[in-house]
Amino acid sequence: MSSLEIRGIQKSFSSTQVLKGIDISIDSGDFLVLVGPSGCGKSTLLNMIAGLDSITAGDIVIDGDVVNEVRPSQRDIAMVFQSYALYPNMSVAKNISFGLEMRKVPKDERNQRVASVAQMLQIEPLLDRKPSQLSGGQRQRVAMGRALVRDPKIFLFDEPLSNLDAKLRVDMRTEIKKLHQRVGNTIVYVTHDQVEAMTLATKIAVMKDGELQQLGSPDEVYNNPNNLFVASFMGSPSMNLLESRIIQQDGAPVVPVSLKSGEEIFLPLPQSPAYRKYLNKPVIIGLRPEAITDPGSAEQESSLLYSSSCQIDMIEPTGAELYAIMELNKQEVVSRMRASCGVQSGQTAEVIFNMEYAVLFDPETELRIS
Amino acid sequence: MSNKNRAIGDWLRHHLPRLVLSPSVAMTIFFVYGFILYTAYISMTKSKMLPNLSNFIGLDNYGKLWKTLNWQVALDNLFIFGSLYIIICGLLGLFLAILLDQKIRTEGFLRTTYLYPMALSFIVTGTAWKWFLNPGLGLEKSMHALGWESFKFDWLINPEMAIYTVVIAGVWQTSGFVMAMFLAGLRGIDSEQLKAAQLDGASTLQTYWRIIIPQLHAVFLSAFVVLAHMGIKSYDLVVALTGGGPGRATEMPATFMYSYTFTRNQMGVGAASAIIMLMTIAAIIVPYLYAETREKNND
Amino acid sequence: MTDTLQANGVSSARFWRVALYTTLIVFAVFYLLPLYVMLTTSFKSLAEIRQGNMLALPADWTIEPWLQAWGKACVGLTCEGINSYFWNSIKMVVPAVVITTVLGALNGYVLTKWRFTGHKWVFALMLFGCFIPFQIVLIPMSQVLGKLGIAGDTAGLVLVHTAYGIGFSTLFFRNYYEAFPSELVKAAMIDGAGFFGIFWRILLPSSGPIIVVTVIWLFTNIWNDFLFGASFAAGEGAPMTVALNNLVNSSTGVKEYNVHMAAAIIAALPTLLVYIVAGRYFVRGLMAGSVKG
Repeated sequence: MSSLEIRGIQKSFSSTQVLKGIDISIDSGDFLVLVGPSGCGKSTLLNMIAGLDSITAGDIVIDGDVVNEVRPSQRDIAMVFQSYALYPNMSVAKNISFGLEMRKVPKDERNQRVASVAQMLQIEPLLDRKPSQLSGGQRQRVAMGRALVRDPKIFLFDEPLSNLDAKLRVDMRTEIKKLHQRVGNTIVYVTHDQVEAMTLATKIAVMKDGELQQLGSPDEVYNNPNNLFVASFMGSPSMNLLESRIIQQDGAPVVPVSLKSGEEIFLPLPQSPAYRKYLNKPVIIGLRPEAITDPGSAEQESSLLYSSSCQIDMIEPTGAELYAIMELNKQEVVSRMRASCGVQSGQTAEVIFNMEYAVLFDPETELRIS
Repeated sequence: MSNKNRAIGDWLRHHLPRLVLSPSVAMTIFFVYGFILYTAYISMTKSKMLPNLSNFIGLDNYGKLWKTLNWQVALDNLFIFGSLYIIICGLLGLFLAILLDQKIRTEGFLRTTYLYPMALSFIVTGTAWKWFLNPGLGLEKSMHALGWESFKFDWLINPEMAIYTVVIAGVWQTSGFVMAMFLAGLRGIDSEQLKAAQLDGASTLQTYWRIIIPQLHAVFLSAFVVLAHMGIKSYDLVVALTGGGPGRATEMPATFMYSYTFTRNQMGVGAASAIIMLMTIAAIIVPYLYAETREKNND
Repeated sequence: MTDTLQANGVSSARFWRVALYTTLIVFAVFYLLPLYVMLTTSFKSLAEIRQGNMLALPADWTIEPWLQAWGKACVGLTCEGINSYFWNSIKMVVPAVVITTVLGALNGYVLTKWRFTGHKWVFALMLFGCFIPFQIVLIPMSQVLGKLGIAGDTAGLVLVHTAYGIGFSTLFFRNYYEAFPSELVKAAMIDGAGFFGIFWRILLPSSGPIIVVTVIWLFTNIWNDFLFGASFAAGEGAPMTVALNNLVNSSTGVKEYNVHMAAAIIAALPTLLVYIVAGRYFVRGLMAGSVKG
């Protein structure tokens, strides 16, 4: 159980800078998820924490000690790889115990620890098999067993679920979460899947182009995105972003939005001193799909509900709910409704805008206005 | 562990990979590049039986080389042998590969049969063909015994034709390998394309000519480079089959180099001929290797 | 890809099939005939060879030519057969193959899993070394071997073949290890294995196929080499190929074709055996050694 601090980490490969100064600090027992599109530098950062990639500038600090020059095997970390990286020539038991053997753990203790990990992961019947005889999910478990048996300070996961099929991925996600709740170790987890990030993390670090975009709890990152990138990257379907401007109406700030019919509606905004500076200036307004919904699903206690009749262009049922697609400001907008709300494509329906969840961005800087 | 020991340990650990690599690199630098430079230098000295490092004469040996009739003959022969060897091996290899690609039941056996000469030494190949084509006792006599009395095959001792026996033996040895290369290329083509071509109404011949063979350009290139490389280096086959004769009818640059260097005491000229051989091969190999390795890096 | 010859009508299809098989068989005969003639000749007496038909089977089978070739035939000035040269070749091939394979495996490991700046240049240098015409190194090599006192010796040939085999063995292992997942190496690093530990415990157990390919390739090439053998070990220490050539092309005495053929088959036997037993790997080595990448 250990804390981890990443201080001003930079990484350059020849002339290209892939990490441009990252600062992240997490406490013991945290589950940090590094999330971002491919090429954002998240895997490089993980490799640097592991000691597999050299550090161009900055410090990696584990439990207060700078470990920049410490070899991977002596950092007391364990890693689960995207490809699982099981040694093909060794049995499952050997794979799990190899790290212990390298650390000269006595054989009896090795066997005992392998047995207990195998029991925890329910892979006891597989111990004598070779990796090639295992299914994807089983390999995943063995890879986790190999990390668990070492009982390291920090677990590192490099996109561990990306090679599994959709159903198994959801199951394993749950297992990893359970595991974390049970053993409580510090975990750093890399993924490009924002759903994984939301479900697993206690802290999310959103990265793009080698820069940290936002570090916060899943709730913070989802509801209070720092900038346009975080807003659009987190959440599926992603946040609707409409270009508009703030005007004053009856002393309150509103944003005008045109419907498909040509009619203009004025969506109310929460009172915020920051909005005054943007009066009559262009802004981008971000609305999550669930903030545009049918009257039955709307949060009645919200103080900033706005109701309007909108034409629904298309609906996408997913079973549990449906996405209704409409046009606002000549842009396609996705709204999230109850499956049973009865809207039909091509028809007009009453739509509720919950403006309490609206976020505004400066179109120039792309930063959140708050 | 003391601090000093640990420092040494760390240094060792850090440099171990390069230390492991270094003997091979040193050997390559010495035995390949050092030797090339040495030979290049020898080619500019008046070395006779032994290297004579002090007697520098610039490019004189090269001038002498080009005026040597034996070298002219060797180049002519290399041209005849090289072009026939490459063309026949290439065409025969492609032809056999296409035939074998027709769902042949005994493909494994036939493939093995076509390719086995590649496992033999050129000396064995030369010995075998020398006997097989022996004008007195070989093929000629067998044909007479079979009733073809007028059959005459004396290429081995006919200065005009001897070079073609080298071509025959060379083709015999290598064409199976070219076939294997083409066969691998054919098997690498996506079979859905062939179904599409069939639906488009192409005949088998058209499918090969218009769709498959154009996709084998990489194999053609590889085959060309391999064959050219083997052709220029070929020494053993000539020695074993004809010994460069009759007379100098089958002299090649490789045999020329050897005899001028080691038996005719013209080491400077021999070295010059080796340099010419190297440059010829480099002109073919270097662009090829460059293109191949670059391609890989772009993946 | 597989495609059958299309043809109109059954008879035409059958005609093409027959023509196809006939052509294939004719070529099989072309490739097999020299071997067949070698074999039959080696079991005939010299008298039968002079009178008879080369293509005919021996009327009187005799293994005398084989015994002659192995134990009594004259190579150069000594008449003790080719057996000592056969052992020369073995003594040359085995150490050269072992050393070259080990070095190539380690080089390939470093060049793929422990990369350093300039690793590409190192590889390019070694790769080009594979393709030089060996005539270019004959003069300095004879000097160096003379200085080292191992000219005319199998030890000298071991050095020569190692020096010029490393490029290929490195190429083979590098290309093989290139495809070996680097995550396994990282996992082993985190597990605490060192440079040699990773090689020994992780890479080597998975290297079976490429070791076989490399060993076969090197074995065939070194066994079949003539140029180096002829240049640096012409006398007692000569390898099999040189002895065979001396035997066949010695200008003195009666030409004993049957003995020559027996000797040629003995010279070819080890590589033929390898080809028959492990043809798949043999072909793979040929491809890897020619189709670069």
